[in-house]
Amino acid sequence: MASSAVRTSVPVAPQTAPSETNAPARAAGLIPGILLLAVVGYAGKFIEHFIATYGKTHHLVLPNIEYVLWAILIGLAISNTIGVPAIFRSGVATYEFWLKAGIVLLGARFLLGDVRRLGGVSLILIAIELALALTFMTYLGRAFKLKPKLVTLLAVGSSICGVSAIIAAQGAIDADEEDSSYAIAAILLLGAISLFLFPLVGHVLHLSDHAYGLWTGLAVDNTAEATAAGALYSDAAGKIAVLAKTCRNATIGFIVLGYAIYWGSKGQAEQVKNKGAFLWKKFPKFVLGFLLISLLATVGFFTKPQLAAVGNLSRWAFLLTFAGVGLRTNLRELSKQGARPFIVGAVGEIVIAVITLGLVFGADHLFHL
Amino acid sequence: MSQPSPLHRVSLDTWAVLLAFAAVLLVRFGLLKTIPW
Repeated sequence: MASSAVRTSVPVAPQTAPSETNAPARAAGLIPGILLLAVVGYAGKFIEHFIATYGKTHHLVLPNIEYVLWAILIGLAISNTIGVPAIFRSGVATYEFWLKAGIVLLGARFLLGDVRRLGGVSLILIAIELALALTFMTYLGRAFKLKPKLVTLLAVGSSICGVSAIIAAQGAIDADEEDSSYAIAAILLLGAISLFLFPLVGHVLHLSDHAYGLWTGLAVDNTAEATAAGALYSDAAGKIAVLAKTCRNATIGFIVLGYAIYWGSKGQAEQVKNKGAFLWKKFPKFVLGFLLISLLATVGFFTKPQLAAVGNLSRWAFLLTFAGVGLRTNLRELSKQGARPFIVGAVGEIVIAVITLGLVFGADHLFHL
Repeated sequence: MSQPSPLHRVSLDTWAVLLAFAAVLLVRFGLLKTIPW
């Protein structure tokens, strides 16, 4: 039950084509869902534009709410009322594909020097965050008497990058599918809450775009939610959030390898034979794509208008992603997954958010972000 | 049982990178115009 509930609310994008013969049919089956993503995302953009225009023509000061929030809210309204009809589901599940393509394209908006400077600061903070988050989540999970492998999955999910890390770790440590369903549900539910809480806290504390983006990239677990939470604050904050989150994602292979060796040494998972191949398999390839595009932008491969065009493509890809974040989140299904993993996740998230906020304040003071 | 196709081994990440690079090259050589944001 638990795993099926998550399966319905967390459709995993088709990783590969099962055979060449039915690949075109499968691709055609994605079109309705991709169109739904585009319609929901564009509706969000339309509402933002409409409110701004209405305020201007009627001389009213209306709050500027980013299209990201509207797209997510429309998606949430659909998935939590009428539900996403079956014909759209496989296409909606591609939101993660668009997220990764969007991140690669976003590389064009960073010069390699910025990546090195901000990425360097991010990596230092990520190392501290990882050590604290993994330790804290492990102790917290044990205190709540959760199953050891569920504790590992929650620790990996909340310290690195949410769903992808949990899926990567599940296979590597031979965890139950039910455990990963619990962990994924907890991370997704908390991610949905973060979307609304992080921008509020950021505004209350008057964080700069850089500081807020860095905090979001360090503290929000799932890449889609981190990107959305950053973009909800501002375009610049969204960029920094993606950069920090991408640095965090780059550590996934190393952490999962560590856990695979640990569980393998206990005889509860397969031994890792080739560590290099393991790392390459688990390494998120879009990180390399992002760096390569950033390198091309730095060496002047593109003209200014071309850079703007690639930046636009990235924004359109993110528009599809944000619509998917709302459409795939079924709060009722997620809340059925049991209270204890959620409580452990929630307490862990709050502590990680506070610690990372402290780290960001410290880094802001030291490096003038 | 049939052999999985080479496409089967390409991950979602890699597809995303390939699509992004294809789009970037099309923009670079003037073959793709984007809708302004």
